[in-house]
Amino acid sequence: MNDTVLEVAGLHVSVGDKTIINGVDLTVRRGEVHVLFGPNGSGKSTLLAAIMRLPGYEQSGGSVTINGDSTEGLTTDAIARLGVGMSFQHPPAIRGVTLKRFLESINCCDDLGAAVERLHMEAFLERELNVGFSGGELKRAEILKLYAQNPEMLLIDEPESGVDIENIAVIARAINAMLQQEQPMKLRKQSALIITHTGHILNYIDADVGHVFMDGKIVCSGNPQKIMDDIKRLGFAGCTECLKAQKETP
Amino acid sequence: MNRTEQNPRESLKNVAFDKLGAGAATFLASDFEILETHSAEAEVELLPIALALEKYDWLEPLLFSLVPADKDEDVKEVAASERKLGYFIRVRAGAKVALPVYTCYMINSDAFTQCTHNIVIAEENSELHLVSGCTSNAHVTSGRHLGVTEYFVREGATVTSTMIHSWGREVEVYPRSAAHVGKNARFVSNYVALSSVRKLQMYPSARIEAGGLGEFYSVIYAPKGSFFDVGSAAELEGEGASAEIISRVVSDGGKVITRGRISGNRPGGRGSMACNGLLLNPEGSIHAIPELIGNDPKLELSHEASVGMISKEELAYLMASGIEEERATSLIIEGFLDLKVPSLPEALQQQIDAIVKKTKSFETI
Repeated sequence: MNDTVLEVAGLHVSVGDKTIINGVDLTVRRGEVHVLFGPNGSGKSTLLAAIMRLPGYEQSGGSVTINGDSTEGLTTDAIARLGVGMSFQHPPAIRGVTLKRFLESINCCDDLGAAVERLHMEAFLERELNVGFSGGELKRAEILKLYAQNPEMLLIDEPESGVDIENIAVIARAINAMLQQEQPMKLRKQSALIITHTGHILNYIDADVGHVFMDGKIVCSGNPQKIMDDIKRLGFAGCTECLKAQKETP
Repeated sequence: MNRTEQNPRESLKNVAFDKLGAGAATFLASDFEILETHSAEAEVELLPIALALEKYDWLEPLLFSLVPADKDEDVKEVAASERKLGYFIRVRAGAKVALPVYTCYMINSDAFTQCTHNIVIAEENSELHLVSGCTSNAHVTSGRHLGVTEYFVREGATVTSTMIHSWGREVEVYPRSAAHVGKNARFVSNYVALSSVRKLQMYPSARIEAGGLGEFYSVIYAPKGSFFDVGSAAELEGEGASAEIISRVVSDGGKVITRGRISGNRPGGRGSMACNGLLLNPEGSIHAIPELIGNDPKLELSHEASVGMISKEELAYLMASGIEEERATSLIIEGFLDLKVPSLPEALQQQIDAIVKKTKSFETI
């Protein structure tokens, strides 16, 4: 049985005339949690947008497959229905559409009561979607959306940005529960690719593989905690130095 | 059976008036025939206008005092009409009438011109909620509705007036409404048209005295073949008077002119306007004309207007959760048109939502 959920091979993506993703290869297997570190503007969010084929992101080369199915020619909603869910860093506010109506429209999960409670969203169900939500409320609503969608592959963009510590803990607990992190990997049903700029989310979520993303490419992969420690110590400048040293070493 | 022999009460279903909850009073008219005039509460007086004119000598001078009889050709036609069709509604001073008063005009005969003249009086510190549904029989292929309504909202009183139209694609409609909003009084006009009409032109206005408030909401869906020229005007006459005009328009091939005008004459006046339009179809058009006129430096007047397509960002966001494009589009349109009126009691808003749902002509999820 092939355990690969997400396979990205030689992916090139441009926005307008500018190439943002410069040949990304990435394999995420069932139950794995991958973390993507990288400086601002390195193209991390573009990678997620390109996997979802959001408008404005042109795939100029390479391929993306979900559970072995190519996403070529598919629309965003069709990719989502292949089993991919994305938590946006900056979700738009949609007037007149309540959070409850939105969740009902996704309609993949019979009972969201426990998730609503876990994410403290009871008071937001009748509110207009993302209208006037604080940073923490936006992220909690995004994770609740993933619960409603129940995807096999979670793409989570900066879950901790603009969020206070209390909310990060709530969000991380909800992500952990969805990813069944208490289970051995072979028994987990869902996988995740999490983007983080600060790495703070790693204090709450156990990731299996870490990647450093710079200039539109994955430049380094390994133990996520080790990578995080190096970044904390040396910054992303340390990554640049490391890459330079590797190139110079015969 | 010819067209005029159709049961006019069947047409009530078009605006869900066959399933209304309890009301304080009800008025139903078909063509020139009054089918029902009923008041369930002593504080609400509801009479056919002809009867009220016989009963009260003081009423005659109020007619055409807010909407001049020579305002335009349509009002002239109403003024010249020999058949006095219309209602007179009066709420006694201090009475807070929580249940709505329902009124409904229907056109039941082909090529019929229905002229109406209504007078609404909310005496000092009273409260009235009016819900009007207007429709035509399914067999009507053409018709005109010319309606003059004059609202007298006395000091400290509140009147909300919700008008829901479901006329039919060959009917022309020319409502002419005006309100005088007394000191510290409140007038709320809420207009909803979510189904086809050949031509509709309306421009309700309010003259607002010191501390008074006028609110105008309009929600319009214009399918192909329809023409709407709609708007509202508020004149901030007294110190500290305020007004808000909000319109949401979706054109799916229809032509829409949406107007708004707030003029202020005294210090402390505040007015804001928001005219937003969604264009779904290149055959349609939306022309937003917001106007602000300040005649005193101590006024605060503002407006925002937008006309455009459905936001690609919003659409992509919904689709990224697996919702198909067509359903995502419907969700955004429904949300855009789901304009809540904060000053309406919640139970009334729910009832209005139910009526609005019934009148929708476009595909819903």
